[in-house]
Amino acid sequence: MREIERILDKGKIDMDNMEVPEELEEKLYKALEDKSPVKPKRANRKAVLAVACILILIVGYNLSSLAYYGKRLLGYNQVMNGTLKQLNELGRGQLVEKDYTFENGLTVILDGIMLDENQLLVFYTINDPKGEVDKAPNIHMFIKGFFREYSPQSGHGIINDEKTEIKWIHSFEKPSIFEKTLRLELDMTEDKIRETGQISFKIDANKAMGSILKQNINKTIKNGNTEIHLGHISASPTKTVLHGSIQNIVELARDQILGERIRPNNIDIRLIANGNEVPYQGGGMSTDIKGIRFHSDFDALPENLESVELFIKSFSVDRDVNKRIHIEGDKSEQNIEILEQNIKINNMYKSSGSTYVTISTREDIILTRVGLVIDGERISLKETIDSDLEKLEDGTIIHTRTLCFPGEGENYELSIERMTYTQPYDKTVKIPL
Amino acid sequence: MDMETLVRRAKQGDKDALVRLIMDKQSDYYKLAFVYMRNKEDSLDAMADMIITLYEKIHQLKKPETFYSWSKTILVNRCKKLLKDRSKLVRLDAIKDHGCVAELKENEDKIILGEHLSKLNEKHREVIRLRYFLGLDYKTMSRILKIPVGTVKSRIHTGLKSLKKSLGGDGYERN
Repeated sequence: MREIERILDKGKIDMDNMEVPEELEEKLYKALEDKSPVKPKRANRKAVLAVACILILIVGYNLSSLAYYGKRLLGYNQVMNGTLKQLNELGRGQLVEKDYTFENGLTVILDGIMLDENQLLVFYTINDPKGEVDKAPNIHMFIKGFFREYSPQSGHGIINDEKTEIKWIHSFEKPSIFEKTLRLELDMTEDKIRETGQISFKIDANKAMGSILKQNINKTIKNGNTEIHLGHISASPTKTVLHGSIQNIVELARDQILGERIRPNNIDIRLIANGNEVPYQGGGMSTDIKGIRFHSDFDALPENLESVELFIKSFSVDRDVNKRIHIEGDKSEQNIEILEQNIKINNMYKSSGSTYVTISTREDIILTRVGLVIDGERISLKETIDSDLEKLEDGTIIHTRTLCFPGEGENYELSIERMTYTQPYDKTVKIPL
Repeated sequence: MDMETLVRRAKQGDKDALVRLIMDKQSDYYKLAFVYMRNKEDSLDAMADMIITLYEKIHQLKKPETFYSWSKTILVNRCKKLLKDRSKLVRLDAIKDHGCVAELKENEDKIILGEHLSKLNEKHREVIRLRYFLGLDYKTMSRILKIPVGTVKSRIHTGLKSLKKSLGGDGYERN
């Protein structure tokens, strides 16, 4: 081996003595002569970006089609209105597909949910293998969350021809944004035996649809003795809700003390978007410590919003009146005005121990609590007879009817305690977009 | 200008800086190329090839301090590529390995060595030349050839053994 290394070492000496050719530098420069500087980092980034874009396009494109097939709630076509159908087509629902079966064989299948700013829609099926789903006992439901319970607001369902199932859509209050897992609580009582069940499900707040329009209105519209306060409007992809109030707690308390309480019956408000009326879905009113509040629900607003306005048609209220009108036996005909509403007393007659008072009012006016004070004694209304409607030339409908009070005497006073009437408003409020 | 500054400049496309980097160690590069190419012209060609590759790829070099081992690896690869391309034309074993002999004064040892070296497996011949002709240490060889130090050692060992066997036969007797 040493011999080899000796020989090899000689080779090294040769190498050590080797001189680098002088032309090396020139050769190196020449090699680089026509090379332009490469800036591949940039090019690479562009390439990466392009690839990323293509990937996003391809994946994104497919995701939406995946979502299309993956997230549609099937079988609800008939139950859904147009808006919901569209949203379902877009895969806006969140599939749950969990069920609970009661002892009697009835199954509740929670197919999915749809969540937005205004409501939580629950899509479920009640299945009865016996084919008597229409006769099945009612199942009460509510949703239990971590923070509180959410009650159902409205719902509707359709029974199939075989009567084996009902497809329901139920609207619940919108759960708190911090809720992650909710429980649909089921409660059924059959033959005095109560059974409860639960279906828990997760909600993905990220999939909740945001609002299309959220606008404070904050306007008070006054007419006659009534006023309506329009609070705010909240339009989400599934529905549009107008929130307002009639009286705050102070006004409510004052009226209560003065005996002038107002009980709202119905507010006729129409929502007009892009010149067309948005279908009315329902509404509600509540009286509590916060006063009298109301909400009117409409279908979702159309796309490409150009204008939104509220048309306040009328407001129907029931008010405390507590007025007594003296009626002379022979000069009974008289016009009276209560709360700016006209009431005409046509005549009064006595017959077989009863007193009859004929009155005429606008169709919408109803004396909801009325009595006849005969010689200081209040006699309650027994019945209303001879009801007759007459349409005037201006379109007003006059309602003439006869009130029957059991009893007769010398002194008569009509005691109008409460009265319902509709206050026309016909006012338009534009909502800024 | 220190080496890292030159590398940084070269990365920005400065040709002078790149040539400077090579010229600063011209002897190392040239000898390395020569070990493979065994003549002046081919060695210079290999280096020209190398500098083009360096110029095009230097942006990929993450650590400037590794410039020398990185560029030498490229040089070795260029050399091997050139040899391979040439072997397509002429079978490698058809040419006698003259080693570094040709340039120098002939002497029998070198002729013998050249002959026997050419009989070795390429990978063994390579390490033996780098080790003994250039005097590279194991670590440097490992870095340039991109093989572990252990492999370098074992290849040298095997190479020397085969060389001994070969020399112990017909060739060595001539001395």
